[in-house]
Amino acid sequence: MKKYILILSCFFLVASCTKRFSAPLPDTTWSAFDSAKATPLISSINNRLEGVYAITNGNGTFGDTAVLKWSYTANGRDTSFYLSILCETEVSYFICEAKRLDTNIIFKGYWRKMVNTETGAVRLTISRKGGADKLLNNIAFASTDTVNIEGIYGSGPLATDQPLSLKYIRPLYKAKPLEIIAHRGGGRTSDLLPASENSLEIIKMASQFGATGVEIDVRLTSDGVPILFHDKSLNERVVQRSGLYGDIDNYTYQQLYTLVRLIKGERIPTLREALNTIVYNTPLQFVWLDTKYSGNLQPMRDLQKEFTAKATAIGRKVEIVIGLPDDDAVNNFMALKDYKAAASVCELSLEDVERTGATIWAPRWTLGKQNDEVDKVHAAGKRAMVWTLDVPASINDFITQGKFDGILSNYPSVTAYYHYVRQ
Amino acid sequence: MYGNKIKYISLLLVLAFATAQSKAQRKSGGEFMPSKKVGKGYALVAYASGGLSYYVSGGGTTTTFLKTNVTKLNPLTTLRVMWHPDHLLRLGVETGYVTFYTYTLQDTVGKVSLNGIPLLIEWNMPVAKRFNVFVGTGVYFLKSNLDYGGKTSSSKASLGWMAAASYTQPLTKNLGVAAELKYMDASETVNAVMGLQVQLVWKFFRW
Repeated sequence: MKKYILILSCFFLVASCTKRFSAPLPDTTWSAFDSAKATPLISSINNRLEGVYAITNGNGTFGDTAVLKWSYTANGRDTSFYLSILCETEVSYFICEAKRLDTNIIFKGYWRKMVNTETGAVRLTISRKGGADKLLNNIAFASTDTVNIEGIYGSGPLATDQPLSLKYIRPLYKAKPLEIIAHRGGGRTSDLLPASENSLEIIKMASQFGATGVEIDVRLTSDGVPILFHDKSLNERVVQRSGLYGDIDNYTYQQLYTLVRLIKGERIPTLREALNTIVYNTPLQFVWLDTKYSGNLQPMRDLQKEFTAKATAIGRKVEIVIGLPDDDAVNNFMALKDYKAAASVCELSLEDVERTGATIWAPRWTLGKQNDEVDKVHAAGKRAMVWTLDVPASINDFITQGKFDGILSNYPSVTAYYHYVRQ
Repeated sequence: MYGNKIKYISLLLVLAFATAQSKAQRKSGGEFMPSKKVGKGYALVAYASGGLSYYVSGGGTTTTFLKTNVTKLNPLTTLRVMWHPDHLLRLGVETGYVTFYTYTLQDTVGKVSLNGIPLLIEWNMPVAKRFNVFVGTGVYFLKSNLDYGGKTSSSKASLGWMAAASYTQPLTKNLGVAAELKYMDASETVNAVMGLQVQLVWKFFRW
């Protein structure tokens, strides 16, 4: 008997070691791309490359169709452009940088599947005959012309040697705009993205995932500084180990600044830093401030006004809305002197939307498409957005059969895919 | 991953316990301070312990972004009360005060300590003469004390467990002194210490 117990015990000890998941960025080094002969592209090419493409090689891994969309991260005069290739299969996407090499346009980057940890490097080329000649020389395409992108991709640390080909089919759908809102600034920490949720770094990446806006979680420190943090307390899910636990609103901003780092090593940003990044460094046009604290909303309101004005001053339209997720937030919002002038998004009933003067109604997606209610909201001159929709089939259903003006999702890449492939 | 490991180790301890129990039942002379039969032979026994603990968690204390001087060796005090029935498996509770670790900041003036007050349900059994093993599970009430730019205390409850082995030397009929090696793990937050304590054992009530 004792022998069997010993064998069983050993089995349990060995079996208890389970895998810790990770999806590290692959090595994207490509000597041709990194050589001095490769030069930056002029940004005018970007819009001409956007569109819906057929995947003719690699479709077994990424599906038959892809959406190509550009985004950027601005840093003063130094702007980095990124080409995102958004696919349906297993919520996959590519993020690439582009350069000109002789008469070709070349791209290097990586791909990732959000439903698992699969990732790998990718190298793509548009040859002169594949459309680079007309793109680089700003020559109009004839109706029979198309753009062909050829290249290779790898899987994990394996060699980058699998063929990938894309062929332009049609332009992106733009008839009815959709706000594609990335959850927690761009994505959750649990989705193993390159940056932590609610960090400045993930906000800079959000548009690379296809997002047009972000939802960020706002809490107050003990000294009243609005910061971005989802959970009520410091814990291993979101921050690195520092011996500090308990409610985040127990700590001053200076204490958090010095002693706490998010999972990927970033500092917990202030709301001011986040809005500054959105306005000056990204193409994002919509910001949903999810109110995660109970108390005076004036600090949020002041920053909303300040950064709406700053965006306008540089010729950008950035809509910043204050989230009203519960009755407590509604009461605190209505205690503001100028609440009727403050853009807000109310997650409660249509009566609450009316009462608060909210500009947007945002019901939970599990309540269904609610087309009749959305019609009423539209008739009142307001918009409707749904949260937090992550099931790809449901996202497609809400886009094609629903009437919402925006979708909040942890998977903005597949939301963007389903939106832009519409005809 | 860690949660699974705790689950299986706990199961392993239960299995080991069951094995040891059958062995110990055969050796009735193995019990320390055997109760002189009074009534049903039940007793309550208190264990007051003091010693040192060393932080051993694989999760580490702090990450590299903080330049710190970490102290992992700290005092450990615990208090346990066990019900000794008329058979070998005993039941009780344990509490105490654990300092998991403290650190000071190198680049500026600041200090952090992570402490815990365990509240554990425990099982105990003598496995050989004067040798006892203990296992327990429950909650560690963690408290972070920060002294940097002002003093801040904050708390969090963490599920956890403990395991211990002790050797007891009887002094009188109701009093003994023991040495105990124990592992205390606030597993939900991945904080654990290995402790060595001197223990006063007092059979304070019998019926």
